[in-house]
Amino acid sequence: MGQEFVLLVSASIFCVGTVGFIIRKNPLIMFMSIELMLNSVNFLLVAYSSFLNSLDGQIFALFIITVAAAEVVVGLAIILTIFRTRHEMDVDHIDVLKG
Amino acid sequence: MFASSWLILLFPLLGFIGLSWYGNRISRNLVGLVGCGTIGASFFMTLVTLSNLLFLPPEERVGHVQTLYQWVSAGSFKLDVAILVDPLSVFMFLIVTGVGFVIHVYSVGYMHDDPEYSRFFAYLNLFIFSMLVLVAAADFFFLIVGWALVGLASYLLIGFWREKTSAVLAARKAFVMNVIGDVGMVIAALVIFETFGTLNFADVFASAPGMFRPNDDSMLLITLLLLVGAFAKSAQLPLHTWLPDAMEGPTPVSALIHAATMVTAGVYLVARCHVLYELAPYTMYFIAGVGIITAIFAGSMAMVQYDIKRVIAYSTMSQLGYMFLAMGIGVYSLGMFHLMTHAFFKALLFMAAGSVIHSLDGEQDLRKMGGLQSVMPLTHATFLIGALALAGIPLTSGYFSKEAIILSSYHADMGNIVFWAIAVLTAGMTAVYISRGYLFTFFGRLRSPAAHPHESPMIMIIPLLVLAVLALLGGVLGPWVDSFLAPVFGHVAYHPHDNALESIALVVGIGGIATAGLLYMVSKERLDLFKEALAPLYDLLFHKYYVDEIYDYLIVRPTKAIGAFLEQKAEREGLDFTVDQVGLQIKEVSHGISLWQSGKVRSYALNMIVGVVTILLFVVFM
Repeated sequence: MGQEFVLLVSASIFCVGTVGFIIRKNPLIMFMSIELMLNSVNFLLVAYSSFLNSLDGQIFALFIITVAAAEVVVGLAIILTIFRTRHEMDVDHIDVLKG
Repeated sequence: MFASSWLILLFPLLGFIGLSWYGNRISRNLVGLVGCGTIGASFFMTLVTLSNLLFLPPEERVGHVQTLYQWVSAGSFKLDVAILVDPLSVFMFLIVTGVGFVIHVYSVGYMHDDPEYSRFFAYLNLFIFSMLVLVAAADFFFLIVGWALVGLASYLLIGFWREKTSAVLAARKAFVMNVIGDVGMVIAALVIFETFGTLNFADVFASAPGMFRPNDDSMLLITLLLLVGAFAKSAQLPLHTWLPDAMEGPTPVSALIHAATMVTAGVYLVARCHVLYELAPYTMYFIAGVGIITAIFAGSMAMVQYDIKRVIAYSTMSQLGYMFLAMGIGVYSLGMFHLMTHAFFKALLFMAAGSVIHSLDGEQDLRKMGGLQSVMPLTHATFLIGALALAGIPLTSGYFSKEAIILSSYHADMGNIVFWAIAVLTAGMTAVYISRGYLFTFFGRLRSPAAHPHESPMIMIIPLLVLAVLALLGGVLGPWVDSFLAPVFGHVAYHPHDNALESIALVVGIGGIATAGLLYMVSKERLDLFKEALAPLYDLLFHKYYVDEIYDYLIVRPTKAIGAFLEQKAEREGLDFTVDQVGLQIKEVSHGISLWQSGKVRSYALNMIVGVVTILLFVVFM
């Protein structure tokens, strides 16, 4: 498994996440897209950790997973609260904080 | 020797502070007790100080300065918090605390139904304290402090009934006029400091005669600047317009401040600074001239007013004119003597008038009074005594003091026949207007059908009786006042005897009373005929020589016009416009920028990605 292949897979997943985040309106899907982006980076970190014979990348990946989990908890709580108050889940309609 | 003299000032100050803080929480009786008790204690301490002073031989009685502590010491400039104890200041202490105490007791009855009883007594105590600071000052600095505090207390008390617009306006007018005087005083103090390098009375008065010849420019300047303050405080021309309006305040205030004590501060100032004034004979003539003109000017206006308090107010101005005349011709102790008797009989008149007003539920118009002689016998008797003393009927106190001044205005070194003639004419007017007021109030029948007059309570009558005794018998103190004050003024006032002139003055006085009797009592028709015949003069007097209107046109309106112009052009269209525009423009720009913040999360994300990609491309390919 060469480095080009790893980079290509990672970049593809990242792009899928990015595009998903932009085109979908459901916040849950958008969250998944964010996870995709994060995991594409994790994949890259772990792969390069193996290439370079160093544990740094894997430790980094563990940290990212932890932080992402914490972030999802907060994010889901917010999404739930918004859904309870507004009874809809379209991010384009949630624009109270506009200028 | 005089270590306890500072207690004189302490008691009223404590009374003021205590009543301001706790006045609303304690009972009315306690408020009255504290209000009067502090002044009574202060009067007692004054008597102690007086007895200490009398134990000294006359030549050692002057120049005792009781220093409490040193306040400022900057280079050669030193300022002590000190109390000056000499016959002149003790004399003033006696009047301020003595008459003040009597009027405080009277106020207990007069203000009994007022909802803001404690505020009134707090202000009264503040006034007494301020007046004592003024009198006790041993340098020009504390003189000005007291001067300004007295003005403040006067302002608060004139505007005491703050829900009355006219009272608030009158208070403001009095304050503005007094501030004009304060400014003169402050400039005078600066000039004195520049000239002498000190503000201390003793130092200034000691060095002045050696440094200047009579009528030197700086002496004239200093004395005239001090006079601005004296004239403003004592309601002399042309700064007199506030005094009649000050009658908007409660009557005890008029009696205490605008008759007995505060308005005499100007006379006291001239007496205190007589060393300087003697170095400026021109100013002395000026004082005498202004005094005598004010006397006749105010006396003539008093003859046609219908508000009982205004009649007495103009009379006060007129009597103050006499005092200034005495100062101007150099018979200081006669002026101070008249100050004392005037404090007695004028406070008495005001308080008797207050008793009438009280029983008529606030009615002050002479035309609605009448016939109170039988209903209020004690008030009537005391008013009569006050009126006789004011008119200068022999054996009353006013006779001794006023007659002496009138005689001196011819016989003193600086006197002349013109002063004497005007003084006598004014005495005649005095007799006319006070008889008129007396007859209107107590004779005929009551012209206000709705009123139910009744004699005032004893707490108001007893102070009246005390003052009536003083007004009646105060004249015997004349020689004592002369000799008591002699150490301060350096000589005993010269008492001329001139039977011819005395008789003329007496005849004019009694003639005045008779004229008033004929005009106002015997025949109403004759009075109307008289009014018709003298209509232009009557109008002139009734409108107070149009002085208020002249000031309005010359000063108030131009000032208001300038103010309005500046408000429109400089403030609204200049400053405000600029500041507003800065704010508005920034708001516009920010609004434009804020449209970028759409609130759409996905567009933020897109923007971010485009940005990141752009930066990456830039980094990679450049």
